[in-house]
Amino acid sequence: MHSPRTAYWFLAPALILYLAFVAVPIAQVVGYSFFSWDGGRLDQFVGLANFARLGSDTVFWAALWHNAIWVVLTLAFPLLAGLLLSAILAERRPNTVRALAAIYFIPRTIPLVVAGIIWGWIYNPIFGLLNYGLEAMGLGQFGHAWLAEESTALLSLNVVGAWTFFGFCVVIYLAAIQSIDPSLYEAADIDGAGWGAKFRDITVPLLRNSTLFLGLYAAIEAMRFFDLIWVTTQGGPGYATEVLTTHVYKTFFLVGDFGYAAVLSVVLLIIVLSLASLSFWLLRSK
Amino acid sequence: MDETKKGDGQMKRIALLATIGLSAGQVAAQTVVTQWDQFSQAGITAAGPAMDELIKTCAPALGGAEVLRTVAPSIGIRDSYRLAVAAGKTPDLAYTWPAASVLAGYARIGALAPLDDYYAKYGWKHVNDFYRGRNSYEGHIYGLPMEQDLMGVYYNKALFEEQGIKVPTTYDEFVAAANAFKEAGIVPIAFGNRDRWPATNTFSLILGLTAGKQTEEQVFFGDTPWTNEQFLKSATVFQDWANNGWFPRGFNGVGYDEANALFLSGRAAMTITGTWVIQDMIRGSGKIDLGVFMLPPIAEDIKPGTMWGEGSQWQLSATADQATKDAAAAYLDCLVSDDSRKIWVQKGYTVPIGTTPEELSEWGADPVVHSFFEQGLATPDTNFYDLHTTLPESVTQVLYPELQRLAGGDTTPEEFLQAMQTAWETAIANGERWVP
Repeated sequence: MHSPRTAYWFLAPALILYLAFVAVPIAQVVGYSFFSWDGGRLDQFVGLANFARLGSDTVFWAALWHNAIWVVLTLAFPLLAGLLLSAILAERRPNTVRALAAIYFIPRTIPLVVAGIIWGWIYNPIFGLLNYGLEAMGLGQFGHAWLAEESTALLSLNVVGAWTFFGFCVVIYLAAIQSIDPSLYEAADIDGAGWGAKFRDITVPLLRNSTLFLGLYAAIEAMRFFDLIWVTTQGGPGYATEVLTTHVYKTFFLVGDFGYAAVLSVVLLIIVLSLASLSFWLLRSK
Repeated sequence: MDETKKGDGQMKRIALLATIGLSAGQVAAQTVVTQWDQFSQAGITAAGPAMDELIKTCAPALGGAEVLRTVAPSIGIRDSYRLAVAAGKTPDLAYTWPAASVLAGYARIGALAPLDDYYAKYGWKHVNDFYRGRNSYEGHIYGLPMEQDLMGVYYNKALFEEQGIKVPTTYDEFVAAANAFKEAGIVPIAFGNRDRWPATNTFSLILGLTAGKQTEEQVFFGDTPWTNEQFLKSATVFQDWANNGWFPRGFNGVGYDEANALFLSGRAAMTITGTWVIQDMIRGSGKIDLGVFMLPPIAEDIKPGTMWGEGSQWQLSATADQATKDAAAAYLDCLVSDDSRKIWVQKGYTVPIGTTPEELSEWGADPVVHSFFEQGLATPDTNFYDLHTTLPESVTQVLYPELQRLAGGDTTPEEFLQAMQTAWETAIANGERWVP
C-alpha cells in the first residue's frame, strides 16, 4: 500500500513541467498586462489602464467578430459535411471505407502553412486555379480576387479551414457510427424505416457525444488559429480577416506594445479556457 | 613505476596544460563582434556577395577582433532586432531598418551606443545632414546609414515603343500613358500589395509629388494634421490609380514578388518600386528591355523629386564593451570607405550614400543602376520621406491596412486620413514621434 505522499512524488515531474511551461508563462503574461512598456522594456505599473483600451480598440472588436463568424461557419459546414459523409460511408464495404476515410483525412495532415500556400495559389487573382476553372466553364463573371476583397476574404479562408477540418470530422464520426449496435438499424429496417429516418432517429442522437466533442474542439481551434491567416492575408485586406491571434502578433512583434499584447492574450486565454471548461462540463455531465 | 616514464608523463601533462592555458588566453583576448545584417544572395538587398568579400577585405581594420555574422531576411530583420533589444540581447553591430522613429525608440531606452565620437574620429562626411538627422535622437547620432534607396518607375522599353508611348515627363503624360496601356489590354502598373507594405512606398511617392517635402515636414514635425488639403489630394490620387484600373486585378491579393514577376515577364508596362530590388530587376530582365524614369510631379506647384532614404543603417549596441565598439567602428569605417563603396556597387548592386553618378560610370555600374541614381540624385533638395521608415511602428501598423482599404475602395480618402490622424495623435501622446 502506497501513501498519498508517494503519489505526489510520482506526480512531481509532470507537475514541475506544467508549472514551468504553462502556469508560470501564463502568470507572466497576466503580470505583463498591468505594465506599460517602452521599446519592449518594462516601464511602469499602470493597473487596468491597458484593459481599458479594449473598449475603443475597433480592430479588437472586428477580430473578435471574425473569430465568432469562424466558429459558427466551422460548426455549420465541416461538422455537417463530416456527419453526412461518414453516415453514407459507414454503409460501404470495409475496404472502401478505409480508402475513402484515408483520402478525406489527408487535408488534415497538411500543415496549415502549406494549406495556406496551396490555397493562396488557387485563389490567386492573376493565375489562380479557381478563377481559371470558372472562366473555362463560362462562369468568368463569378470570378473574384477571393482573398483581396473584403466581401469574400474571410469566407474564402473559412473554406480552407473547413477543407482541412472536415476529414477529421469524418474519421471521428465514422468511428462513432461503427460503434453503434447494428441491431438498432436491423430493428429499424424491420419496422420499414428508410435511410433518412434511421439517420435522424438513430445515428444523429447516438453521435451526440462525438458532435459535442467536435463542436467544442472546433470552437477552441477557431479561436486559436493563426498560421493560415498569416501566410495568406496577414489579416487583410484592411482588417477583413483580422482575428485575435493576428492582432496579438502585430501588437507584440510589429508594434512592440507588450502590455496591450498581453491584455489581448489574456482575453484570448479567458475565451479558450471558458470553452474548454464548458467542453469538460458538458462531456462529463453526460 | 619507472621514474623516467613518470617524469615524461608529468612533462606531457605540463605541456598540455600550458597549451590549454595559452589557447584559453588567446580566446579570452580575442574580441568578437557579433554582426547581424540582411545581405542575402537574392531578393531584396541581395548584396550578399559584396558583404562576403568586404568581411575579408576589412578584417585587418578589426585589429585582431573577429566578426561573428548572422544573416537575417531583409524584411524580418527589424522584427528580430526589436525582440533582441527587448530581451537585452542586442547584437554588437547590426545593419537594420528603419531609422527615424524606430531608431529613436531604441536610443530612448538606451539600447544603442552614440556614434558622435566615431563620426568625429572617422569623418564620415559622405553622410549629409538629412541622413544624420534621420539617425539622430536628442542631439546624438546613433546610426551610420550606408545604402542609398530611391524610388522610381521601372518600365518596359519595348512595350512603350510598341504602343508609341514616350517616357512621361509630366504627370498628364503619365496619366495618358497608363490609360493607353490599359486600353491596349496591358497592365499599366504591376502593383501587388498582399504583403501590405508595398502600397506604403507607392503612396509615399504620390504624397511627396502631390503635397511636397515642405508640407510633409509640417505634418511629421509640426502641428499640421494629416487631414490637410494636400494630403487629401494625395490620397485621392492613389485611390484614383486603383479605380482607373491601372493595377492588376485583385492587387491586394498579389504579392510584391508576384507583381515584379508580372512586370519582368513583359505583361505589365511599369512597376513603381525602389532601388532595393534593383539587383533582382536586373537579373530577371532577360525577357524585357529595362528602363527607369522618375515619376513627374503630380501637383502643379511641386518640384521634381523622389522618395529617398537610407534603406538601413549600421548601429552599435550600448552594451558592447569599449574594445568591441572601437573594433566595430574601425570595421565600419572600412565598409564605407571609397574602395569598399566600389565593391558594394560592383558586387552588390548597392549604391552607398555619397556615391556620385560619375563614380558609378567609372566603376562600370550596370546602366540601369547608373540611370536610376543619376535621375534620383539630381534632386537632393526636393527629395522626400518614405512613410514606413519615418513613422513610429504603431502608426505604420495602421497605415498598412488603411492603405489596403483605400486602394481597395473600402474607405474614402477622408476616412483614411482621419484614421491616420487618430493613430498619429496617439503616437505623439506616447512620445513615439521622431523629430530630426
